[in-house]
Amino acid sequence: MSLIEPLQAADEDALAEGIARSSRPGFVRTAIAGNRAALVGLAILAFFVFVAVFAPFLEPYDPTAKTGPVYDPPSSAHWLGTDDGGGDMLSLLIAGSRVSLAVGFIAALVAILIGGTVGILSGYFGGKTDTVLMRFTDYMLVIPDIPLMIIAAALFGRNLKNIIVIIGIIYWTSTARLIRAQVKSVRERVYVKRAQALGAGNRRLVFKHVLPQVAPLLIANTVLMIALAIFAETFISFLGLGDPSTISWGRLIENAFTGEATINNAWWAIVPPGVCVTIVILACTMIGQSVEDALNPRLAVGHLSVRRFRVRTLDGKAGAE
Amino acid sequence: MVKRIAYAILTVFIAITLNFVLFRALSGDAVSALRCKQCSKAFKEAQRRDLGLDESKWVQYKLYLADLAHFDLGNSVPSEKPVRGELIVPIKNSLPMIALGTLFAIVFGTLVGVVAAWRRGTFADKGGLYTALGFYSMPTQWLGLMLIFFVAGAVGLPTSGIKTPTLGLFTDASTWEVAVDRFKHMILPALTLGLVLYGDYALIVRSAMLETLGEDYVLTARAKGLKNWTIVRRHGLRNAMLPIITLVALSLGFIIGGSITVEYVFSYPGLGLLTVEAIDKRDFPLLQAIFMLLTLSVIFFNLIADLLYFKFDPRVTT
Amino acid sequence: MSVREPVIRVEDLHVWFELPGGGELHAVQGISFDLHEGERMGLVGESGCGKTTTILGMMGLLPATASVSGKVILDGEDILARGEDSISPHRWNDISMVFQGAMNAFNPVKTIGEQIAEPMELHGLASGKAAQGRVRELLELVGIAGDRANRYPHEFSGGMRQRAAIAMALACSPKVLLADEPTTALDVMVQAQILELLVKLSTTLGKELGLTVILVTHDLPVVAQVCDRAAVMYAGEIVEMGGMSAIYHDPRHPYTRMLFAATPDLFGDDEVISIPGAPPRLDRELVGCPFRPRCDSVVEPCATVHPRRLQLAPGHEALCHLNDSTATEAAS
Repeated sequence: MSLIEPLQAADEDALAEGIARSSRPGFVRTAIAGNRAALVGLAILAFFVFVAVFAPFLEPYDPTAKTGPVYDPPSSAHWLGTDDGGGDMLSLLIAGSRVSLAVGFIAALVAILIGGTVGILSGYFGGKTDTVLMRFTDYMLVIPDIPLMIIAAALFGRNLKNIIVIIGIIYWTSTARLIRAQVKSVRERVYVKRAQALGAGNRRLVFKHVLPQVAPLLIANTVLMIALAIFAETFISFLGLGDPSTISWGRLIENAFTGEATINNAWWAIVPPGVCVTIVILACTMIGQSVEDALNPRLAVGHLSVRRFRVRTLDGKAGAE
Repeated sequence: MVKRIAYAILTVFIAITLNFVLFRALSGDAVSALRCKQCSKAFKEAQRRDLGLDESKWVQYKLYLADLAHFDLGNSVPSEKPVRGELIVPIKNSLPMIALGTLFAIVFGTLVGVVAAWRRGTFADKGGLYTALGFYSMPTQWLGLMLIFFVAGAVGLPTSGIKTPTLGLFTDASTWEVAVDRFKHMILPALTLGLVLYGDYALIVRSAMLETLGEDYVLTARAKGLKNWTIVRRHGLRNAMLPIITLVALSLGFIIGGSITVEYVFSYPGLGLLTVEAIDKRDFPLLQAIFMLLTLSVIFFNLIADLLYFKFDPRVTT
Repeated sequence: MSVREPVIRVEDLHVWFELPGGGELHAVQGISFDLHEGERMGLVGESGCGKTTTILGMMGLLPATASVSGKVILDGEDILARGEDSISPHRWNDISMVFQGAMNAFNPVKTIGEQIAEPMELHGLASGKAAQGRVRELLELVGIAGDRANRYPHEFSGGMRQRAAIAMALACSPKVLLADEPTTALDVMVQAQILELLVKLSTTLGKELGLTVILVTHDLPVVAQVCDRAAVMYAGEIVEMGGMSAIYHDPRHPYTRMLFAATPDLFGDDEVISIPGAPPRLDRELVGCPFRPRCDSVVEPCATVHPRRLQLAPGHEALCHLNDSTATEAAS
């Protein structure tokens, strides 16, 4: 019995309603395509991924080199000015996108893999497996995430790989909960039971029947997890626990802080990295939210509206074709 | 309901145990992390014996529990002073700041969320939604820096610490002046925390209200002839309050974690900053205590959320 | 025979819904009928034929994406004339509704009593103790013990909630009661009780309450049991309307005939009607008779000319070319 059960029960009802819709092929595509905010989000994300992938070609200068005076304001030579070491801000920003996005995507993947597996195992097998896994998840949920993350980061060395693993290990729990609820609903559906009766093995059932149904929710969750992971990386970097050999947006923000950019009036060192992080997280949130909203049918119906239905007069013959 | 309280107590117990396992096992040897000039090998051995770290883990565990029963949280390794004492002032500093920020977030988040849902599709909705999303997506520390850079100077608010150093130095400062000074130092950190939380809460409230407004009984209310705002107030709010209160209560347990970066940016001497310093100095007993405090607060707020649900939802009877 | 004025008259009601991708769904296409005091009319058809939209439209409970045209005349006033403004004063007072799935029509965190009293207080009919008294009366009327007014919806069984919903609909003594699938999702025994209740309410008490009922359902036996008249809907239009026995013994539209002849689906969940094929899409203009693809008695004009409303006997009309020679144009 979890401490947050009533909420879970309500969620499960809503999720079950959404199942029928999500099983239609191309659900995610339709959900995103139909939502303008989500499309904008997708475009933004695509843009940043592009920048990250082609970073070395896009950087005007070598980000680690001193190419100008310290805290030089934006100029034609340096579009976004320089930082406290004379490095070009624009190049730093572009270089930083690689690490920030990479950490975001990979850490999110780790979290989803762990959470998804736990959720599927728990929801599908039920019984003791479920109880044990859920108890374990409950306890993990009770541990304060950020302090744990910071302590782990401080202890286990400051390299990128460890940071990714730490983020993944701390954030898998919400995914597990969500996926478990949906898997439980899916399991009840008739055809899964029929396939079982015909002797299909568990593995086959999970991959062919359960997974496709759970996919939309997983995708929505992954995108939201990416946002969370990027967020987490900025926290870790800000406290000086990031990987010193890499450039990330989080480290740029930290640099602005320790390099006293405020005192030097160097807004160009403070504003851009944070704006990038905010925009990417916003984009991810909009994409993930649109899929989640599409899964919840009750959000679509609104019985109250400021606008009212219109009364009109028919022109032409009544019932004309 | 008794069941839930019992369950919470069980969780507390397990949390305490896990806390022990985590820190004793992790630290390997807290003493070995000591960085000080006179820490020769012999000295460290003596320390170990002193702190009982040379005994078996099981004995250590029993000692740990016994100490806890007496509210003895051990001694801070670097300073050798009791941990308990070290915690008091930071907590006293953090609490008002966090309370201020949370209050701000709850009030504005609820306001914006309700109006956005009620006037769905209009400018009010979109405006509220996107400001909430915006603040929600900002890294807390960056928002803090932005506030320091753009707001503090303009409005004349201090940007670090908890009191002006010169206050009370040359002339006696009245309690009122001290209070105002304290308050001025609290505003920006509280605002930073509050804005990010506001984003979160506004989104939650809006979602919950929208869902509630799609329920059948809202259509029934409309059919009875009730006006929109009455429906929102009487049927919408009352029902949406349930998931909202629960989610808010749950998030309260994790607020200290969120305040860590805020306090770091503003050099605000609260629990968050203490945590960072403790990590820096590898002060494991202190960390263990803080961690336990945080975990306990999460469990506590989970229980509160549960009890609130129990009180306000007539469908829940166990 | 005296000609009484109809309690409610619907004239050429149309409802359109805006579609998300552009375009419109013409959900209700020119519905017209009169109802006299005490009559019980069944509105029958497959899901999606527009019957629920019709009664929602009569009460103005349409979403912002909808537009309506036509008249709904109650007491000599066209309550639809100015949309929401002209309709809302009449809601519950003169015309009320029992929704489909009444289980969810109740707010789970308020007592049944509170919710039944709510419209009374709103429309200034009673408040406080008086309202509470009336609530008990209403509950007793529908067969629920009066002291259960202080219970919450989840403490009532499905059947009881349905009755409570009927009691709630009667709170302001309306002239017209619209019942949308009042017996779906209830087991047979409970169904029978609810139907009995509806008959009792509009006949014996109909003399005092003068209650007129429109019963919307896809379940033919229900209509046959409870109603004096039936209107059969297809693709947003009334394709046949008349007295129960006329419709049953002498159906003048192939759809009506096929409905009565269709075997109930024993293995399905709740769809009793099973005629092969599917209703036409309503987001585009149709040529000819909308039922033609599924009809077993197609004649030459069906493909190109939309049938006219033809009166076959007093009170019996149908929308089918098969009647062209024998009938006269129905009065609109």
